Amino acid sequence: MDTTGHTVTITINKNQYQAVEGEILLEVARREKIDIPHLCYESSLSPYGACRLCMVEVVTCGKTEMTTACTVRVHRGLEILTDTPDVIRHRKILLELYLAEAPHSDVIKAMAIRYGVTKTRFLKKIVTGDPLLGRCVLCGLCVRVCNEIMGAGAIGFVNRGPYTIVSTPFLEENPACMGCGTCAAVCPTHAIGIEDTGEKRIMRSWSGTPVEMIRCAGCGGYIGPKPVMEYARSRIDPVMAEELQELCPACRRKQVTR
Amino acid sequence: MDEKRLDEIISRYDYPSGRILGILRDIQVSEGYIEKDLLRLLAEKIEVPVSRLYGLVTFYSFFSLQPVGRHIITLCMGTPCHVKGARTILATLEDLLGIKGEEESGKYFATTADNQFTVVIARCFGACSMSPVIQIDGNLYGYVTPEKIPEILAGYGWHP
Ligand code: SF4
Ligand code: FES
Ligand code: FES
Repeated sequence: MDTTGHTVTITINKNQYQAVEGEILLEVARREKIDIPHLCYESSLSPYGACRLCMVEVVTCGKTEMTTACTVRVHRGLEILTDTPDVIRHRKILLELYLAEAPHSDVIKAMAIRYGVTKTRFLKKIVTGDPLLGRCVLCGLCVRVCNEIMGAGAIGFVNRGPYTIVSTPFLEENPACMGCGTCAAVCPTHAIGIEDTGEKRIMRSWSGTPVEMIRCAGCGGYIGPKPVMEYARSRIDPVMAEELQELCPACRRKQVTR
Repeated sequence: MDEKRLDEIISRYDYPSGRILGILRDIQVSEGYIEKDLLRLLAEKIEVPVSRLYGLVTFYSFFSLQPVGRHIITLCMGTPCHVKGARTILATLEDLLGIKGEEESGKYFATTADNQFTVVIARCFGACSMSPVIQIDGNLYGYVTPEKIPEILAGYGWHP
């Protein structure tokens, strides 16, 4: 939140709320416990508006206009309606589409049920051997965190239209992947599979890319992917990097308290 | 394509906008396809993740990742051409050339055994008024019917 901004009063569903000018509307709604379903919003990334689920109505001079709550920045006098018949209808259709796109996603199913949507009229994606388990809704969050936050760019959208998937180049193991797992952490539908086998981490969804793990200097247990450690070292002060020890949280605690 | 030639292509584009697509286009035009290792090398040189380049190459039907034959036949499958019988045209082409392509990941691709012809599919050339339309090595043919195809192909060295 931008703390230098002014506090403004906005209206959501006829109730007044305080917010900081310039804040993302969806953030305000979340804070005030106003439910707006959303899949592709992540506060550490720039507004994107891919999933279209967070649609709300903005009222200006008595007229309403639909827009995505994750891209609207609040300003004085902003008036929003989040549950109008139009909005609900829009969400229902979208949820039907998502049921077809990600037929195996429990997250989508649960979201849909809340809107009374249990079936889809659209052709369900046929899922066989999908590394994303028939759960991906192509929201793009994983691709964006991998690019914009981790700077690895290990994955991307492949193909076009109904054939679009998220994967590694040539659908092959990709050494650019650091195995950090940020993608899995942000994925709204838990589509990304990661398997830790001990000395290796296998990125199941990313063409089975193997990543080497490092051991704790204290107890010898596996603590994390080696490329992440190297990346961290390269980004910090060299003196600190020198002192940085590869310790698991338990051994670190022991060392600190000694 | 060797590295020198790749560097030369890269050097044609020193402004950021349209750079990546420009380079990829030039490679496609010069080689007829974009080889895997070349794409990797390019990514390294222009400091763009391979995933990004791969995404672009698989997005546009203009690019091919497989080697192509001597002549490229692009068949339009845009809605107007489809309605005017593009499917039949494709069946005729497959018949005459003895190929069976697969529409894998939304892209159709088939090359004859003698490497003379590659058939690919595009969506709308913007010549819908002449639909159905095919293009061979950049030459456009409109109002195509199955009967006309042997003659058109003969112009590119095809014989029954
Ligand atoms: S794998 Fe998850 S985060 Fe990535 S595009 Fe699909 S749904 Fe979004
Ligand atoms: S959260 Fe707003 S469009 Fe996805
Ligand atoms: S649809 Fe074929 S040229 Fe437009």
